[in-house]
Amino acid sequence: MWDLLARSLGASTIFLFAALGELVNQRAGVLNVGLEGLMLFGGTAAFITAQTTGSLALGFLAGLLIGGLLGLAHGLFSITLRGDQVVSGMGLWILSFGLTTYLGNAYTGPLGLARIPSVLGLSPFFLLGFVLVAMTWFLLFRTSLGLAIRSAGENPAAAEASGISVLAIRYLCVTFGGVLAGLSGASYTLSYNPVWNYNFLMGWGFVSLALVFFSMWNPWILMAGASLFGIMWQLSLSPELVLPGVLSRYIWRTVPFAITIPILVIISTPWFRTRWGLAKPEALGRPYTRG
Amino acid sequence: MRVGRYSLALDPRPAVSPIYAVLTAVVAILLALALSSFLFLSADANLFGAYRTVFAYAFFTPRGILATLQRAIYLLFCTYAFLVPLRAGLWNIGLPGQVFAGALAAFAVPSLLRAQETAALPLAAAVIVLLMVVAAAAAGGLLGGLAGLLRARLQVNEILVTMMLNSILFWLVSYMIKEGGPFMGATAEGEGFTLPSPLTAPLFRGVPYTAALALGAAILLDLLFAKTALGYRIRAFGENPAAARYGGISPVALPLLVFLLGGAFAGLAGYHAFTAIPGVYKIPGNYGFYGDLSFYGLISALIARGSALGAVPIAVLFAGLSLGARFAQGALRLPFGVDYALLGLLMMTFVASHVFYQFRITWRRVPAEALQPVSTETGGR
Repeated sequence: MWDLLARSLGASTIFLFAALGELVNQRAGVLNVGLEGLMLFGGTAAFITAQTTGSLALGFLAGLLIGGLLGLAHGLFSITLRGDQVVSGMGLWILSFGLTTYLGNAYTGPLGLARIPSVLGLSPFFLLGFVLVAMTWFLLFRTSLGLAIRSAGENPAAAEASGISVLAIRYLCVTFGGVLAGLSGASYTLSYNPVWNYNFLMGWGFVSLALVFFSMWNPWILMAGASLFGIMWQLSLSPELVLPGVLSRYIWRTVPFAITIPILVIISTPWFRTRWGLAKPEALGRPYTRG
Repeated sequence: MRVGRYSLALDPRPAVSPIYAVLTAVVAILLALALSSFLFLSADANLFGAYRTVFAYAFFTPRGILATLQRAIYLLFCTYAFLVPLRAGLWNIGLPGQVFAGALAAFAVPSLLRAQETAALPLAAAVIVLLMVVAAAAAGGLLGGLAGLLRARLQVNEILVTMMLNSILFWLVSYMIKEGGPFMGATAEGEGFTLPSPLTAPLFRGVPYTAALALGAAILLDLLFAKTALGYRIRAFGENPAAARYGGISPVALPLLVFLLGGAFAGLAGYHAFTAIPGVYKIPGNYGFYGDLSFYGLISALIARGSALGAVPIAVLFAGLSLGARFAQGALRLPFGVDYALLGLLMMTFVASHVFYQFRITWRRVPAEALQPVSTETGGR
């Protein structure tokens, strides 16, 4: 049972890293629906690098780097060029989906490196996730940079008038979001499930994106949500541990996705929105034009 | 942005001429093809030879032409499925899920009627085929409609909902065709049962009748958007939902309607892919590939800028390219996934071309006095 829980928490860090980065860039007003693509590309880059160099550290570095670069690309299109953020995000996702299938195919199979040591079966990334959540919360709600980030996402014109460079803040956050998405992908392919397969994520990125909406843009709630989904995900992979022989394993695989939809519906009801919906960054998804 | 004595600015384009729209589409496609040359670097042929292999197979061999047409029909249905909601400003990325729903519904008809054997068809074959088409469109439409309804009533993000439905339907198909599922084939090798030949889509010179549906739909869709009040409302809603609302356009009915219609087209794509292409006639074990392929439809709708007839040549080209790329993969010993990589490159060049479509890039000479450093000293008049 502990094994299952430990593995669930390992799974939850994949959701957590990606969603935490997305939370920060959404707080600054930039929506990146291509999260899954950034995770795919980061994870694939990490896997290929680790396998060719034999170094997990270099692998992680490559994952972070690629994630950051793709985040920057999203910034270039959606901030400087003032393009539609959905077009750019979807573009990044399909670009990554297509290119990683081609680039990674020769590496299909297990990583073949020593597993990252775990503490009592618990992945060290869980601890890292906890630290990152605490740091992000502190940054967003207790520092002047955090105030600048939140104001860039709420009312960029007012932020600009008070001397904050909205462009710089948004670039910073969208790149940070990309780096964390890369970390998420890399911890999937190097630690959680070190076997490369085409489109290995199969929806993890989109679930992470949904988690950001569930979290009401609060890192602590995000962490709780990610843990819950990690457990649910792991149960859907091995339902026989809890309910042996009930329903086909394929039906269990649909459960995390099937639960996401009603949660999305609940948080979208007027009742929920008027009560708790104020956290949504007011300028989310809207390009900012200075002057 | 300032470069030397000039300043560079992005000005929104008020209106885009059709010629310019065609030009950006052609440039985006050509650029993607040019970029794909790096995919051929490891090929057993020179660059020119590799491109020739791709095009020669898809467009100049009898076998290839038929396969290209069959795939183009599939891509066209997928294109409309994405295009109709896009005209209302909504993103239907649920194409794979709606395709699978259509396929499951189509195969449910012979399964429920116990018509899996040719010997004992309970109804005339034509009636069963008709039921299959209707069931496929209805199932795709319902699945799309769910996302549309949630979007319309509660503003639930349609990208997330359709993506979740994609994953649900993907596993549902596995359940239906594998490990003793209701639609499992007699060979029990993880694929669906084979359709008895009277129930497959009728062919005319090797081309299934769905070709006529696909072309007819292109004409009807363009007429809908250009000539009817409904089409006008959809476009107005897509361009400015708030203004459309003040203009008396229902913000509830339209998102639902476009998603019902879009989903129905994706359902038809699922019907076509698994019952109308000779050599398939079942839900194969690699059905996920058809889901991936549906994203070519997404790109052709984007590149065609919402014109259904404009998407026809693009879908034919993409069908040929994806097939030719697969063929070249074997013939020239390329790594797997050239067709996937091309999908990614096309998306990238589309996004880049979108900037030029939306904005005019203007260079202005900066007046000389603006370049002078402004003195902060107050004295020295």
